[in-house]
Amino acid sequence: MSNTAAEKVRTFDTRTQAKIPVESPLAYSYRRSGAPAPTAKSRVVLRERPFLGHLVLRGGAIVLDEAVREVLGIPLPGEPQGLVHDADGQRSIQWISPDEWLVIVPGGEEFALENRLRESLGGAHFAISNVSGGQTLVELTGEAARELLMKSVIYDVHPSHFPVGKGVTTVFAKATVILRRPDEQRWELVVRRSFADYTYRWLLDAGEEYGIGVER
Amino acid sequence: MSQLNRLTQGGRIDRTRKLSFTFNGKAHEGHAGDTLASALLANGVDIVNRSFKYSRPRGIVAAGAEEPNAVVQLGTTEAAQVPNVRATQQTLYDGLEACSTNGWPNVQRDLMSLVGKLGGQFMPPGFYYKTFMAPASLWMTYEKVIRKGAGLGRSPMEQDPDGYDHLNQHCDLLVIGGGPAGLAAALTAARAGARVILCDEQEELGGSLLDTRELLDDRPAAQWAEQVIAELTECDNVTLLARTTANGYHDHHFVTLHERRTEHLGETAPTVDGHRPSRSRMHRVRAGQVLLATGAHERPLVYAGNDVPGNLVAGAVSIYIRRYGVVPGNELVLSTSNDHAYRAALDWLEAGREVVAIVDARRNPDGELVEQARARGIRIIEGAAVLEAKGDKRVSGARVATIDAEAFRVTGQAETLACDTIASSGGYSPVIHLASHTGARPTWNDEILGFVPGLVKGVHAAGSARGVHDLAEGMADGMAKACEALTALGRCADTIELPRADAIREGKACALYQVPHEKPTLRGPKQFVDLQNDVTAAAIELATREGFESIEHVKRYTAMGFGTDQGKLGNINGMAIAARCLGKTIPEVGTTVFRPNYTPVTFGAIVGRHCRELFDPERYTAMHQWHVEHGAEFEDVGQWKRPWYFPKARASAVSGERESMEEAVARECRAVREKVGILDASTLGKIDIQGPDAREFLGRVYTNKWAKLAPGRVRYGLMCKDDGMVFDDGTTSCLGENHFLMTTTTGGAATVLEWLELWHQTEWPELEVTFNSVTDHWATMTITGPEARKLLAEITDMDLDRESFKFMDWREGVVAGVPARVFRISFTGELAFEINVQANYALHVWETLFAHGDKYGLTPYGTETMHVLRAEKGFIIAGQDTDGSVTPEDLGMQWAIGYDKPFSWIGKRALSRPDTARSDRKQLVGLRPKDPLVVLEEGAQIVFDPHHAIPMPMVGHVTSSYYSPTLDSGFALAVVKGGQQKMGETVYLPMADGQVHEAEIVSPIFVDPKGERQNV
Repeated sequence: MSNTAAEKVRTFDTRTQAKIPVESPLAYSYRRSGAPAPTAKSRVVLRERPFLGHLVLRGGAIVLDEAVREVLGIPLPGEPQGLVHDADGQRSIQWISPDEWLVIVPGGEEFALENRLRESLGGAHFAISNVSGGQTLVELTGEAARELLMKSVIYDVHPSHFPVGKGVTTVFAKATVILRRPDEQRWELVVRRSFADYTYRWLLDAGEEYGIGVER
Repeated sequence: MSQLNRLTQGGRIDRTRKLSFTFNGKAHEGHAGDTLASALLANGVDIVNRSFKYSRPRGIVAAGAEEPNAVVQLGTTEAAQVPNVRATQQTLYDGLEACSTNGWPNVQRDLMSLVGKLGGQFMPPGFYYKTFMAPASLWMTYEKVIRKGAGLGRSPMEQDPDGYDHLNQHCDLLVIGGGPAGLAAALTAARAGARVILCDEQEELGGSLLDTRELLDDRPAAQWAEQVIAELTECDNVTLLARTTANGYHDHHFVTLHERRTEHLGETAPTVDGHRPSRSRMHRVRAGQVLLATGAHERPLVYAGNDVPGNLVAGAVSIYIRRYGVVPGNELVLSTSNDHAYRAALDWLEAGREVVAIVDARRNPDGELVEQARARGIRIIEGAAVLEAKGDKRVSGARVATIDAEAFRVTGQAETLACDTIASSGGYSPVIHLASHTGARPTWNDEILGFVPGLVKGVHAAGSARGVHDLAEGMADGMAKACEALTALGRCADTIELPRADAIREGKACALYQVPHEKPTLRGPKQFVDLQNDVTAAAIELATREGFESIEHVKRYTAMGFGTDQGKLGNINGMAIAARCLGKTIPEVGTTVFRPNYTPVTFGAIVGRHCRELFDPERYTAMHQWHVEHGAEFEDVGQWKRPWYFPKARASAVSGERESMEEAVARECRAVREKVGILDASTLGKIDIQGPDAREFLGRVYTNKWAKLAPGRVRYGLMCKDDGMVFDDGTTSCLGENHFLMTTTTGGAATVLEWLELWHQTEWPELEVTFNSVTDHWATMTITGPEARKLLAEITDMDLDRESFKFMDWREGVVAGVPARVFRISFTGELAFEINVQANYALHVWETLFAHGDKYGLTPYGTETMHVLRAEKGFIIAGQDTDGSVTPEDLGMQWAIGYDKPFSWIGKRALSRPDTARSDRKQLVGLRPKDPLVVLEEGAQIVFDPHHAIPMPMVGHVTSSYYSPTLDSGFALAVVKGGQQKMGETVYLPMADGQVHEAEIVSPIFVDPKGERQNV
């Protein structure tokens, strides 16, 4: 039995190169709630990185590790709650659960990547699901970003407990986000599309006292 | 009015900054650094409230959280009203307006007090229960009047202008209380590099160090506190929180701290740099270890007239003098059972006022402080106590006599001392409240005459909080306990050098709670135990005589400890009195349990920003804005906002008038049956299932068969819990031999995914299959109705021929230029295509359909129309037509049960039970009202015989009911006992208003019973 595209699993490129109007999960929120421009006084700045390629990988760590090394050139994170990036920081793999990883790549790469991974994985038991339309990446920068997160997530975001290269799934207000720290300056939230407006409005409200700005 | 009780020097107030405030409409002046209470005392305000039950005048008794009387209402505007603020904890700010929470027409001239005086004899405990028992129907009326007479503060009637928030905090060690023990502990842990949070409920950290007479390293103790706080402020690993009350200790060292961020600045939060900070904040702390350095509350003595203004606890007198430069009177009598309280008399004397006498319950007091008092010529009356305070609106004298505390009787002739203030001290009760929140029982310690906290693992108590009252020992205890806590976390901690405090030799205290009186308690003048709830010693004695023995019952019968102060001053005295009456010891009687919150917390802080638009997440689909712009009314389905119906402007419209829901739904229903409608179905749960064992897994979780479903085909599936009851349904498509897409109900999506993972992970881990939610990835739009094919054909390259793309097939293609999966499934019974595209393109596809849809009469419809259309077809909604007690057979869905599948599926065994095989189970049927104009009520009960005497045997109920424009009649789905064998019979639905509706049991499929329309 094999999971390669041609045989047992039906892969499908949901993205098109055609000139089609496209709306990020926050498009409605910008129109509805506005997007205050960042100023010199903004102690936290929010930026959406829309339309990236998001793939969920499930399976055994050993086979998946071999495949992603071969195809992406980076390994799976070595331990739970790990996050690794490729050299230019454009592609990342994050541990989600003992048999689940989130891969984020530049938009448009995900379908080719899925097919190459399937090819590389051959007959192993694994699954790849494309969720690019279902979630978006929201970036927080600025000196007050951590305190804004403390208002929002129950997870301990102290640097001693949340170093660069860590990522967790946690409660955000009354929703859930994936929270990650790619470098010293940035925090990233991976937000489900249907919760994006709630998350955005929460961040604007909780960030008001820090003069939150939205970079677009 | 001048501040007649203000000293010219001393205290931590800023005399150069004057603040104006009003109390009960009268203007006063105080200083920066005052509390409202200290400012009121400075201005000689005696009466701050009227008591709860007897309307007696009451004054300030204490200086902290334990204050029972000075409970005020704040706010200059309606929106800014804050009820039940303790004046002792409210920092004074300029323009503060406060008034008493009780007293009519005002606290000085109170009319209720007449009732109270009369009623005093007639209002024993249980008075309300006993008096207003009958008729029960009138209790609601009584209650309103009683509440008005007895009420505390009132809530604002307008929206709060302030915001509130939560902050999640984590630390190695949480130190609660910033007094000597707490500061020593925090400093120890901070120097060891641990993450420390130190909180204190007072305006500034320091606790008793701010007003103690004792020196540290020969300097005022407050200087050491300032030095430690300065060091801690510099530490990155330390968070200092003043004005922050640890209000609740929850499980696993989760402690909530209520920080009042702006309440000292004004009644609403001032803007800072154009931004308004939250007024108060709940810190949700998850601590590794917790150290309670919460100190102790002084117990007042219980004597007659101990509630007249001018009676204070001794420690409060010292605090007012030393911290605020306020002497709350002129001539003091101190009644004490211990040495510590002598400080109040010494401070009073040093403030330049007269100490009439110290009345000491002990025969031969001999501690250092006693000697100091003697040396200064203060009269000390030994073996005696104040029996009774004289006076009405202010103490005018104290009746003093020698007593035998153990025998509980007065032994000598009473002498009356003229005075205006009586300070009393019956000892010190460790503040054990937070430890009690953990469920640990406190234990009585005879050495310190108080309860010490019981401690669960990871909780430590230090200093006065565990009865170590000596200053030097308390600091050393704080340090030692911090080291213990850090060691428990696997960290090293070094001891630190503590300042030197000269030990004060104290004589042994004696046990005195209630002071005996010449008359028996039940006949004598009132001796108050719980001032806020007007509970007297006599009430407790009466309760014990009436048979209440458990302290918990005594508490509830007398209401002792029920106030906003939770009996911080009175509870231990009350227990001691109960013990005396019952002939038991205090440990035998035990203590009541303290619960959160330690002091009342404003709702705002509890709610944080989870209110108004952020009360709960609202989940939106990719087409949400279109729905809003097209006037949709929304329905909450789980957290989703789904369009409910799309009311249009009425043709004959007066400006802006829109269709009613009935009109809109009828129009939408007709559009689907006659032309084409469109539904946003994105909210349905979608689970991507991959793996070689995916098919086998489906066969085990669904009741029906999946072995032969070919790629390109779709099948309806029914899921049961292991009890055989239906819990979700949906369609599942075979995408590839090892690849399926399952849909679930909107509300059931997360539950179903968890259900699949649960069975896979715990029961069948050997199956190679995985599940991933793709609900948000796809947006789904259903076009349905006779014109659906023509509409779709205009914008797709797909072959829509009915022979090659059959009902229950799915195909891939391009729709409106976007890659799409299209499913020919139907929830309306009409020809239908469910178009799925990546959500980022959805709005474009949706709008393209409308660009082409006009000529076909394309009509958006919502969940209400969806419900009508599916009910006309007899399609169930799990959770509406089922309620966790309905089997697939009850639904008449035998066709969806594969009893002969090789592997037993979830629920199969339960379906072979005699109970699930009964023929008289409630079964799904259709109901057709005899009067077509009637739309039966959902939930209405069904009977076979409407003439049966009440209670009638109820045989079922209506689960779904609508008006059908297609049938031009009301119709319903219902469950009826044995209903499937009763087609054509008449049932009755008696309504609350006396009407009885008649309906005929019919097939649940009302429209197109052969199912031809969906196949066209």
